[in-house]
Amino acid sequence: MFRDAERRGLVLLLLPYLLGLIGLIGIPAVFTVVMSLFQYDLLRPPAFVGLDNFGELAGDRIFHAAVLNSLAFVLLAVPLRLLGALGLSLLLHKPMRGASAYRAAIYLPTVVPEIAYALIWIWLLNPLYGPINLALGALGLPTPRWFTDPVAARWGVVLLSLFTIGEGFLVAIAARRLIPGELYELAATERAGPFATFRHITLPFMAPSLFLLAARDVIFSLQLTFVPALTIFNGGPPPNATTYLPFFIYRNGFEYLRYGYAAAATLVMFLVTVAIIALQYRIARRWTDALLH
Amino acid sequence: MRSCTDRASRWRHALALPFAVLALLPLAMMVGGSLRQLGLPPPRTLELVPAPVAWENYAQTADLVNLGRLMLNSLIVAVLAVPLSVLVASWAGFAISRLPARPARLLLGVSLAALMIPLTAMLVGRFSIFAWLGVTDTYLPLVAPALIGTSPLYVLIYYWAFRRLPGELFEAARLEGFSPFDAWRRVGMPLVRPVTVAVATLAFGISWGSFIEPLIYLFDPELYTVPLGLRSLALLDPTRVPLLLAGATIATIPAAAAFLIVQRAFLRDIGL
Repeated sequence: MFRDAERRGLVLLLLPYLLGLIGLIGIPAVFTVVMSLFQYDLLRPPAFVGLDNFGELAGDRIFHAAVLNSLAFVLLAVPLRLLGALGLSLLLHKPMRGASAYRAAIYLPTVVPEIAYALIWIWLLNPLYGPINLALGALGLPTPRWFTDPVAARWGVVLLSLFTIGEGFLVAIAARRLIPGELYELAATERAGPFATFRHITLPFMAPSLFLLAARDVIFSLQLTFVPALTIFNGGPPPNATTYLPFFIYRNGFEYLRYGYAAAATLVMFLVTVAIIALQYRIARRWTDALLH
Repeated sequence: MRSCTDRASRWRHALALPFAVLALLPLAMMVGGSLRQLGLPPPRTLELVPAPVAWENYAQTADLVNLGRLMLNSLIVAVLAVPLSVLVASWAGFAISRLPARPARLLLGVSLAALMIPLTAMLVGRFSIFAWLGVTDTYLPLVAPALIGTSPLYVLIYYWAFRRLPGELFEAARLEGFSPFDAWRRVGMPLVRPVTVAVATLAFGISWGSFIEPLIYLFDPELYTVPLGLRSLALLDPTRVPLLLAGATIATIPAAAAFLIVQRAFLRDIGL
């Protein structure tokens, strides 16, 4: 069916993308693996050190903190974000007057450039004058020391991540809309209440998309902590309250000029991510099996 | 039946409104805070619109960071990256849509896998390539991601769009002796114009707001883009919050405007 000229034409159209995939993803991945075995600071030639970088990571207290902080963030932020995206999508998936304005409002924070978003939160989280503590104080609630208390700082990062659920929100809406309407009509005739409908129809059907969203959010959470950690907290408050894995990689690679060490940390970060997603997959399978039986 | 849906939709409004307002609050605080007069003590109460309104903060911010230069630089990068992204993404999406099932599925799988890789995992690897090529402190590393369409997601979006077109169109084109490039240019692209608008706008938003890549590749302040200028502002003068917020607002406006355009022109049509 395919003439040679046509096949050549299609390959030509694909060529830039293939070059991009190889040059921007394939080769950097290989470089990262190779560099993790070297010590390299861009100035002197690279020096082979074998697995020393990994050994050093194993004993590096700051790296331990980075792994723990990232894991804690994923454990807190991803379920909350998913809940938010799911809940809001169930609220706003039907076409109704004003719905697209609400949806635009919910998506808008995602559109703000990361650095601008971080600057807003430098202001919002100001312990003395920021609107959040002013509001909490007015309600008689405790006012956390966002910049000086390690626990408050980490919650601050979780808090600011809860507003950028716009993309997950839209994906959840798309997934919800794919569920055939007849199923809900059937549930209505069987006099099924909202919770039963959710448990037996909505959730099983949306489960695959929700799993993909969760997986994507785990991966994405390894990126979205970077700009806030850098610009708002600079990895602190001391010792390392908001040093997450991406921040650790950036600091060691681009500030301390230890590119081999940063490459090793990148590999570990990648493995940790794969492990988390594999775990998520098994949990998701267990739950969907339970739901469907 | 009618009263049932009216009551249900009134509930939805009642529940949705607080969340929509909540989502907009940080942005409202950004704009409101940027207009507070410098030199005044910080507000003791929550205020959305300060009095007096200090429009001059914007002029002052623009001066402090040489805003004109920053915006020009960001624009140069966007003008290079966005059309290239649209070309690469639409070419690849079109080609995959015309391939037989096995190679198509392979490429789609690779694209999905590539989508799942966070930028921060590629930082060290990509930087070493560009450093070895000697092109750090240029715009090349900032424009290069256009070669994966800025994001493989846009390749996928184009693939889905082209797949939804009737196959007979391309059969006819083939019979007329159109090369794949001709088919892309004269049959495919005109029919997916809304997708092109959406992809271009999204790619613009990403290019405009990009912070990590300029951060690690650009050293010459003359080359800085708007996000880097904002960071310099935060480092220079962290106490004059209204100026920081004015900078944040200036940086946000193009991206927000682009989004609202897409939302009206495109998302509405597909019911979002």
